[in-house]
Amino acid sequence: MPDIAAIRALVAAPRDAALDPARALDFVSHQEFGGQALFVGRVRRHNHGRDVVAVEYDLFEPLARATFEAIARESLADVTPELRVYVAHAHGRLDVGDIAVVVAAGSRHREEAFRACRAVIEGVKHRAPIWKREHYLDGSSEWSEGCSLCGEGGK
Amino acid sequence: MKLQVQLFGPYRDFQPQPVLELDVADGATVAAARAALAAHAAARWPACAPGLLRSTAFASEHALLRDGDRLPADGRIALIPPVNGG
Repeated sequence: MPDIAAIRALVAAPRDAALDPARALDFVSHQEFGGQALFVGRVRRHNHGRDVVAVEYDLFEPLARATFEAIARESLADVTPELRVYVAHAHGRLDVGDIAVVVAAGSRHREEAFRACRAVIEGVKHRAPIWKREHYLDGSSEWSEGCSLCGEGGK
Repeated sequence: MKLQVQLFGPYRDFQPQPVLELDVADGATVAAARAALAAHAAARWPACAPGLLRSTAFASEHALLRDGDRLPADGRIALIPPVNGG
């Protein structure tokens, strides 16, 4: 039987199997768990009124994985120690509809699974060293606005 | 010491190479790297807005670094502009 607490934190190439939601749900499964929560983030067609054709994720991989693991450990400490967490983020150029990020949490009950899944995806979005560049239909591209990490210990 | 500074996100647009070399005094802190970066940007990166520099953190491969932290002995650091994963 798998451990009742576990973390898997991954960075993956676009459309890699590590981004498959089924794989995430399988990892957070446990015979003692009755709740699983899943978040899947995909590239959408329109953003701020502009036609998006692709998104490119730049990423500082060693620190990104360390940050994912730290965020997941915080959920074990803050939500419940009986928790399995899976987080995987894409690195590279994605097309509209492709999966950018998948987060899953498994726990004894739904409340902990929902809370942990939400906390992890918010941490990934606000704290992980990942940068998104949107490519538009007119051929232009822009780095998206982001959250400064200076308040996280950077300054 | 020579710093090898990895560039990410919007910083990649300022030069073709993914790593910038900066010189700072031996034993310097992150604040010295920040000052050296600002001087380099003012001289060589006209498209780099001061606001981007102010909102950029520094990091090793393992953790974010505060301005008062000693720079890693191997001189390898990364610029962390505002993030937006997910």
